[in-house]
Amino acid sequence: MEDVIRVEHLKKSYGDILAVDDLSFSVKRGRVFGLLGANGAGKSTSIECILGTKNADHGLISVLGMSPISNRKELFQRVGVQFQEVHYQENIRVGELCEITASLYSKPADYKSLLKEFGVADKINAFVKELSGGQRQRLFIVLALIPDPEVVFLDELTTGLDARARRDVWQILARLKAAGLTILLTSHFMDEVEILCDEICILKRGKPVFQGTVEDAIKQSVQVKFEDAYLWFTDEEVAEE
Amino acid sequence: MNAYKTMLKTELKLSLRGMDMLIFAIIMPLVVLVVLGIIYGNKPAFEGAAYTFIEQSFGALSTIAICAGGVMGLPLVVSDYRGKQILKRFKVTPVSPGMILIVEVTMYFLYALVSLLTLFAVAAIFFGFRMQGGILQFILGWMLVMISMFSIGMMVGGIAKNAKIAGIIASALYFPMLIFSGATLPYEVMPATMQRVVDLLPLTQGIKILKSATLGLTMDHVMIPIAVMAVIAAICSFVAIRFFKWE
Repeated sequence: MEDVIRVEHLKKSYGDILAVDDLSFSVKRGRVFGLLGANGAGKSTSIECILGTKNADHGLISVLGMSPISNRKELFQRVGVQFQEVHYQENIRVGELCEITASLYSKPADYKSLLKEFGVADKINAFVKELSGGQRQRLFIVLALIPDPEVVFLDELTTGLDARARRDVWQILARLKAAGLTILLTSHFMDEVEILCDEICILKRGKPVFQGTVEDAIKQSVQVKFEDAYLWFTDEEVAEE
Repeated sequence: MNAYKTMLKTELKLSLRGMDMLIFAIIMPLVVLVVLGIIYGNKPAFEGAAYTFIEQSFGALSTIAICAGGVMGLPLVVSDYRGKQILKRFKVTPVSPGMILIVEVTMYFLYALVSLLTLFAVAAIFFGFRMQGGILQFILGWMLVMISMFSIGMMVGGIAKNAKIAGIIASALYFPMLIFSGATLPYEVMPATMQRVVDLLPLTQGIKILKSATLGLTMDHVMIPIAVMAVIAAICSFVAIRFFKWE
């Protein structure tokens, strides 16, 4: 199967601080890949380097066989992105934000049916800032899907949501995965990673400390639960022995 | 083109929803015009002058919207969109983040144009205003002043650390120029000493060009103001492009 995302020996430092140290992985079409780690472990920097909003110091990156920097305009016709916080104009309405987003792409999906599919169609005339956390997160997924993408990047999509809203988002992602979309996500919730991700990479202070399936992570760490395995990999005392 | 049109439409809606520009760029110049009209009526600018006081002030009034959009509107919106990372978000789309800047410039150009047209209509209908000089000369001068003021705004918005600092710099530029450059308070009523001080404001120079064009005076004695505007435009554009911060 074809590699949709390919990262080889990615390195990025800010001054003396090494934010990402030799990260390599690839994601095949239709798979869900989870990038995990504590705050400051280098997840967002990695995503930004992969998307080309930050320049990597070293390493090869390709998405859908293209460079995010030199093939930017062509590549981002086919890629959906949701940053940790979606950045929108003050006083903009849901419909207006969707309309602007759709106008950026040559063959956008119909945002009205996406809004309906994600249960926020009745909010089309509401101000974005007045949506509840769950509604806003659904809107952000809609925005990431407007390009009708082959691959989406979702950065901490469920942070700040209540349990119900989180479950709803999982269902949505499971549906997208079933529809053949390739997904790269970051998350702090191990239950959702366990359910959604085919493969994970755990970062610890910029270094990948584990790569593989959730089952492998549990096996390798000699733990019973994945959350314990994750903590085992990221915990300072235990891991450094 | 589709993206440009959609964005322009939405940004205009957002701007009108905010009301600020409607008040400061469209209504305020009209209010000043009407006040000056009530005070001076159709009187000549001074005894024996071939033009009226309103005709003398028209060029100045037409810069109020340019000043509001260029020196206040642009820096605020550019720094705000950078702070909210809207500019950055465009980097992961097929459209360049420069597009939104072009959209903003277009929007403030439209405000200035609407202000110019409404001022012209009101002045012509109610205060017997006649353009004594060449329309083309006036338009060229008006464009030059706009490019110069917008480049100042783009520079401030492009390099200011955050929206707060951009706001402070914008206020420090906007209010003195609005009040003292002759845009609202007529230059001619100021004492000579004061005139020499306010001559240092870029907009004062710009207004001299427009005044000369409106009144059909020779362009020879506004060569210095023209040069000043061109130099400001060149320097500020260079700094804005060279040092612009996208995030």
